[in-house]
Order: sequence, then C-alpha cells, then structure tokens
Amino acid sequence: MKLILTGLLAGLLAATAAKADEMAFTSWGGTTQEAQTKSWAAPFEASSGIKVLQDGPTDYGKLKAMVDAGNVTWDVVDVEMDFAIKAAKDGLLEPIDYAVVPKADLDPRFSNEHAVGSFYYSFVLAWNKGTVTGEPTGWADMFDTQKFPGKRTFYKWSAPGVIEIALLADGVPADKLYPLDLDRAFKKLDTIKSDIVWWGGGAESQQLIASGEAAFGQLWNGRVFALQQDGTDVGVAWNQNLTAADVLIVPKGAKNKDSAMKFLAAATSPTGQAKFAEASGYAPINTKAKAEMPADAVKALPDAHVEGQINLDMNYWAEHRDEIATRWYAWQTK
Amino acid sequence: MQGSSFRRSSVAGLPAGSGSAFPALLLVGLFFIVPVVALLLRSVTDPEPGLQNYATLFGSGTYVRVFLNTFLVASVVTAVTILVAYPVAWMLAIMPPAFGSIVFGIIILSMWTNLLTRTYAWMVLLQRTGVINRALMGLGIIHEPLPLINNLAGVTIGMVYIMLPFMILPLVGTLRAIDPMTLRAAALCGASPFEAFRRILLPLSLPGIAAGGLMVFVMSLGYFVTPALLGGTSNMMLAEMIAQTVQSLLNWGLGSAAAFVLLVVTMALYAIQLRLVGARRAGGGL
Repeated sequence: MKLILTGLLAGLLAATAAKADEMAFTSWGGTTQEAQTKSWAAPFEASSGIKVLQDGPTDYGKLKAMVDAGNVTWDVVDVEMDFAIKAAKDGLLEPIDYAVVPKADLDPRFSNEHAVGSFYYSFVLAWNKGTVTGEPTGWADMFDTQKFPGKRTFYKWSAPGVIEIALLADGVPADKLYPLDLDRAFKKLDTIKSDIVWWGGGAESQQLIASGEAAFGQLWNGRVFALQQDGTDVGVAWNQNLTAADVLIVPKGAKNKDSAMKFLAAATSPTGQAKFAEASGYAPINTKAKAEMPADAVKALPDAHVEGQINLDMNYWAEHRDEIATRWYAWQTK
Repeated sequence: MQGSSFRRSSVAGLPAGSGSAFPALLLVGLFFIVPVVALLLRSVTDPEPGLQNYATLFGSGTYVRVFLNTFLVASVVTAVTILVAYPVAWMLAIMPPAFGSIVFGIIILSMWTNLLTRTYAWMVLLQRTGVINRALMGLGIIHEPLPLINNLAGVTIGMVYIMLPFMILPLVGTLRAIDPMTLRAAALCGASPFEAFRRILLPLSLPGIAAGGLMVFVMSLGYFVTPALLGGTSNMMLAEMIAQTVQSLLNWGLGSAAAFVLLVVTMALYAIQLRLVGARRAGGGL
C-alpha cells in the first residue's frame, strides 16, 4: 500500500514537473482541428519543445465553468468571434500579449485586444447538382420554392447568418443590414418554414446536401470544399457570401499563459496560416500568408470571392445575442 | 418510497440496521442531493438572487412550449413502446429458454451499441432519400416520400427503438411470473383469446407495464441526442433547449431553473404513478 502511494506521489510530481512545457489547445474537432494540429501544433512542438495537448470540442459552458472555478485546463481555445467579444466583456479572457504575437500583418477585422484571428470562413449557398435543375445565384433563390423546389437546410442555432440571409433575400441592401430588422427577417423565414431542415453541426450539413435530403443549404465554405474533394457533385454560389471569423483566445487564469502566447504567434504566422488554409479551405487572417500558398489553393478560399462579399457584424451580434436568441427560439419552436 | 411493487426489482435490499446504511446514504447525498441543491441554488442566485429565472421560464411562451413538447414526445414514445414491447415480451416469456436467451442476447446487444451510431443509422434509413422511402416508392406503394424525419414521427421511431429493452425486460419478468394455468382456466370457462388477454393477462401484467412505462417516460423526458438529430425544431425537447441555454447563451441560472422544474415535475409524476399502481394492486387483491 505504502509503495503504491509513494509511486502515485512520484507520478504526480513528475506530471507537475512536466506541465511546465505543456499546454492544451482546444478546438471543434473533425477536419478543422486535424488541420490545426498538423499546421500549427506539430511545427510549434518541434521548434519550441512545448508539447501541445489537444482537447475538444470547444464548449462555452465548460470554458465559463473553468474560469469561474479557478481551475482552467485549456490554454488556447478556438471560438467564434461574437462569443469572444462577449466573453471579453464578461471578464473571461486574458488579453493577447502583442509583444509576443506580431500584429503588423494580421487582418484588423479579425483581431482585437482579447482575441486573435484563427481563420475566416464564408457561409455560401451550396446545392446538390444531382437533385437541382438550374443554377441558383444568390440567397433570394433559396427562398424561391417555385423556381427551385426542394428542402433547404440552415444552421439550427441562434448565430450570425440565417437572419442576414433572410434580409438579403428580402431585398435589404448589404450595407443596410445592421441593425437587424428581426420582424422582417422572421416574416421572410415564415414563407419557407415548412421547407427548412435544420443542421446542427458541420457533418450534418454535409450529409444533408450529399444525400440530396436537402437540395440547397447554407454551408461553411470549408465543408463544401471537403465535399468537393470527396467527389460529391456540389454547386456553390459565392455571390453574397457571408464572412465571419473564428478567433483564438486564452481563458482567464490559463496555467500556461506564456506558452499560449508563443503558440498564438506560431498559429498566426504567415506559414502557419498558409498551411492551415491549404488544408482546410478556410482563409488566412495573416495578409502575408497567401504568398506562401499554391495558386490553386488560393482559388478555393473565400478570399478569391471578395466581390459581393459581406462581413457579418460580430460586434452587433455580441451586443444583441440574448435578445436575438429569445426571438429565434420563440419563432423556431412555434 | 412506498412503492411495494417496485421492491422486487430494486437494487439489492440493504440490511435493516440503520448503521450499515450510512455509506449508502452518504453516497446518495453526494451524488444526488448535493447536485440537486446546487442546481436549485444556482437557479435562484445566478445572475442575481431572486426568482427572475422562474419568471422568465414561465413568462416565455418558448419554454412553456418546449416543456409541453417534451411531455408530448415522452408520452407518445412511452405509449408506442408499450404497444411494441408487449408482444415481444410475451413471446420471450413463453419461449423455450434456449431460444429465449438468443433473443435476449440480440436485444441486449443492440443496447450496447453506441447510441450516436444507432441514431445516425436511423437518420440514413428514415430520410426522404433513405432506404425505407426508396423501397416504398420502388414498390409503388407511395409516390411522394413520407416525411419520416425531422418531425414527431422521426423522434418516436428512433426513441422507441432505443427504449424497447427498458420496456421489454421488466415486462418479461412480470409475464413469466404469471401462471399459464390462469389463461387455460379462462379458455376453459369460455373466454376468447382476446377476453383472456383483456381480463386476465393484461391486469396481471400491469405492474410490469407500469414499471417499464415509468422508466421509459422518465428517461424520455431528459433525452438529448436522438430527438436532436431526428426531430425538428417545432418539437424540440427540453434537454436540447437547456444545452443551448447553458453552453451557448451562458445563461446558467435559466438553464438550472428549467432543469429543476423538469426534475420536480418528473418526481411528482413518479409519486402519483407509484400511488396509482400501488392502489390498483391492492384493489386487484393479489
């Protein structure tokens, strides 16, 4: 018994000692986190000697619980921008140390005091070419069930995207989207409510489109990219593609803050961003990254479709999250 | 609990001595009472002390609707599960033991397969372009695909499938305990098979139906994965709503309040049912 105890103690001590050059990175799992591990964590481990433990999926409730309990086991977390803005306001985040993370080449749209861009994506209109005749060109077509019959799939949760799509389809000009006219958006959504199938996660969105269960969908461009790589016959309309970013944050009280900042520097470097963008089809937030990418990989990025591109206003969402969510779920469950 | 009919199926009875029950009580306290009290506290203190979370809960049509949906889905699932499980359980009860254990094995095996995998499998089977709709259309039975998924039908099919073992097992126990001679006696007295079922078998198997039904109903109330994947938003269940409230909106107070109300309602139903079943058993004069 005593022997076992001593052994345990020694093990514990060793674990504590080893922690000094370890850190935990948390993201959404799946192909995205695989790309992050390969493009950021592996080279960072090699160059710094700091081991990067992978965890996930990102869970905002868990993150808040860790900070509240003062026992934070995540050092860098990939989150959505609107969450980062709200979390910073609630005091859940450490400020980014821009003395360690070079800021000069970062796209200013996607970085702030408490968050640095991870990658940016676009919501695009995708369709299954096997079930759809004709070629939809914009969000208005997604609401035109006469011209384009079939089910449409949208993101299930109260998050930036669907409201904007409804307003654009209803004829609101892109520069007049905010403040969001929720009444108008829900009225527009009412017109196709019975034709909507909701997707709750990226894999589900791919499954719905690939199987033809939904003819059209609002998908993350990286998910469409992956479907096309797999040889699925999927069409994409980039017109009015809606961009938003994921960002990397450091939770308040993270145990390995110094390592975390060094990791952020590596992840947002031109090389780290270029490698990730090539693997995922999501765009780099470092403006120097594209120069390091093969030309055809650049073509697959939202960056290649800046014409008609619309930025989702994450500040607006961060501020009106609760109010929009209340309306959203009231409408959805009716 | 006063439910004498449940004693037989409960976990190994503790010795009557109060001292030896202490570790068990401690465990119950740690794993059941402490979390529930914490939940209750959170619901009246987060973000500030007061009952505002409960006011929001009952004041918002959304939560009330989701509550009602949850009970509707759980009721439908329980009813269908009983209907499907009963013949299976009866077959198992009268089968020779050698066959019975094989069928049992199949039922248990399905329980041990990963829940998410089974739910995704149903998703593939039930969708408009799925095997079931394709087969029916190929046979010319239907011309438009049936809406089997993202609605109440989808949730019911998926959940009944998952709940079946929890209904079959207690039912088999009860049915096996019924003396087959009673049915033969009924037949000799001139009862048709249906009469024998209605007046002999069904009343005698009620405790099993009640035990299984209660278990299925209570488990259904808190179900998450299957309704989230096979249901639509108009029959969203409470577990999914709570998950969103806590994980995404970070409104822990409201989430706790919703969870606490669900718990209280569940326990109330449990108490009522125990009382009803207990009374009926007493009236049945076993």
